[in-house]
Amino acid sequence: MTASTAQTLVWDWTIRLFHWLIVLLIPLLWWTAEEGMMDWHRRLGLTMFALVLFRLIWGIVGTWTARFVPMIRRLGSLPAYVRDLIARRNGPSFGHSPVGSLAVFALLAALSIQVGTGLFSVDVDGLESGPLAILVSFKTGREIADFHELNFDILVVLIALHIIAVAIYRFALKDDLVRPMVTGRRGDLEPVSTVKVNPMALIASVVIVAASLYAVINAG
Amino acid sequence: MKILKVKIAVPAIAAVMMLTACGDNGGSEAAPEASSEAAGAQLPNGMTIKEQIEARQSQLEKVGDAFKAISDQLKAGTPDIAIIQEAAAVVPEATQGMADWFPEGSGPESGIDTDALPAIWENMPDFQEKVGNMQEAAANLNTVAQGGDMAAIGEAFKTTGGTCKACHDDYRLDD
Ligand code: HEC
Ligand code: HEM
Ligand code: HEM
Repeated sequence: MTASTAQTLVWDWTIRLFHWLIVLLIPLLWWTAEEGMMDWHRRLGLTMFALVLFRLIWGIVGTWTARFVPMIRRLGSLPAYVRDLIARRNGPSFGHSPVGSLAVFALLAALSIQVGTGLFSVDVDGLESGPLAILVSFKTGREIADFHELNFDILVVLIALHIIAVAIYRFALKDDLVRPMVTGRRGDLEPVSTVKVNPMALIASVVIVAASLYAVINAG
Repeated sequence: MKILKVKIAVPAIAAVMMLTACGDNGGSEAAPEASSEAAGAQLPNGMTIKEQIEARQSQLEKVGDAFKAISDQLKAGTPDIAIIQEAAAVVPEATQGMADWFPEGSGPESGIDTDALPAIWENMPDFQEKVGNMQEAAANLNTVAQGGDMAAIGEAFKTTGGTCKACHDDYRLDD
C-alpha cells in the first residue's frame, strides 16, 4: 500500500481488538496449560470464552465486514477469486475475501471447540477441571480433555496456515492485510457499507456475553 | 514435557483422527510391539500381566471418580458433605495394596496399553515412597472429611491431590 489519502474503514475496532487479544491469549493459554498453571489457564480460558462468544454474536448483529452471512455469500465466488489469485489479478476486498472467509470459519470453529471442550475438561487427578465439568462424569470429562488437547493441535495447524496465507498475500501478492487489521483502514477501495459500531448492538452483545460468563462461572 | 514442535508435527486432521481411534490412552506411543506371551504370563499373585494392568487402571479410575466428586462439591456454592464423605472413604479403600500393583514386567514392555513409565522400575524405592505418601494423605483426608469441617477438607484435598500429581509427573505418561 502506498501512502494513501482516502482511507476507508474496513474493520471496526471490536474486530481488531478481538483479533489481537486472541493472538496474545493463544500462546499464554498453551503456556499456562503446559506449566500446569491451571488457575491462570482457567481465567484466561474464560476470557477467551467471552471473546469468542462475542465474535460469534458480532457475526450476526455486528458491522457488515464482521457478519457471517455476507461471507457465506462470498464463498460462491471462491473459484473465480482463486483463479484471479493464481493469475496475480487479485484486487483488495472490502471485508474478508472468499479465501479469507473460509479462514474465518475454520479458525472460529476451532476456537469455539477449544473453548467449549475446555469448559468440561477434567485432568487425570480429578483436581483441576473446567467450570462445567460438574455436569459430566470423570470419565467423560477425561475424554473431553483428550479432545481438548487434540483440537489444540488442529488449531495450531490452522493458525500456521493462516499466518502463511497472510505472508503470501504480503510478499507474493503485494497485498498488506496486517496493516488494515491494526488500523482498520485501507486506502485503495470504496466502501460497500459503513463500518460503524452500533452502540445498541454492542451493548446487547456485551450483556449477553456477561450473562453467559456469569452462568458458566456459577454453574456449580 | 511436550514442546510445541511435537504438536505442530501432527501432520493432518486425518492423522489426528487416527490417533483418537487408538483410544484415550496415549500409552501406545511408548509401547513396543505387543508380545502376547509376556502379556499372558502368570504373576506370583496368580493374575496375568494383562489382568494386573487392567485391575490397577480400574482401581485408579475409581479414585479419579471419587476425586472429581469431591472437587465438584468443593466448587459448588452449597457443597453436599455426604457426597464428600462417601467419596473420601473410597480413596483409601481403592488404593489399598497399591504397592503391589506394579510388579516387574507390567510396564510398557508388556505390550499392553499402559501409561506406567519404565522409570517406575528404575526408581522403585522412590515410587513406593510416593505410594505411601498418597495413602497417608488419603487416610487423613478421609478422617478430616468425616469430621465435616469444610475448610479443613479443602486443605486435605489439596494435599492429597499434590501426592497424586507428584507421582504422575514422574511415573505416568503425560497424554
Ligand atoms: C505412586 C504413584 C501414583 C500415585 C501416588 C497416584 N497415581 Fe494415579 N497413576 C499412576 C500410574 C503409574 C498410572 C498409570 C497406570 C497404567 O496406565 O497402568 C496412574 C493412572 C491413573 C489414572 C488413570 C487410570 C486409567 O484409566 O488408565 C487415574 C484416574 C489416576 N491415576 C488417579 C490418581 C489419583 C486421583 C491419585 C491420588 C489420589 C493417584 N492417581 C495417585 C501412579 C500414581
Ligand atoms: C494466534 C493465532 C491467530 C488466530 C487464532 C487468528 C485468528 C483470526 C481470525 C478468527 C480472523 C478473522 C477476523 C474476524 O473477522 O474476526 C483473523 C483475521 C486476520 N488475521 Fe489472524 N489470527 C492469528 C494470528 C495472526 C497473526 C500472527 C497475524 C499477523 C501476521 C494475523 C493476521 C490476520 C489478518 C491480516 C487478518 C485479516 C484477514 C483478511 O483481511 O481477511 N493473524 N485471524
Ligand atoms: C482457546 C482457548 C484454549 C486453549 C488454546 C487451551 C489449550 C490447552 C492446552 C494446550 C492444554 C494442555 C493439554 C495437555 O497437553 O495436556 C489444555 C488443558 C486444559 N484446559 Fe485448556 N485451552 C483453552 C481454553 C480452556 C478453557 C476455556 C478451559 C476451562 C475454563 C480450559 C480448561 C483446561 C483444563 C481443565 C485442562 C487440563 C486437562 C488435562 O490435564 O488433561 N481450557 N488447554
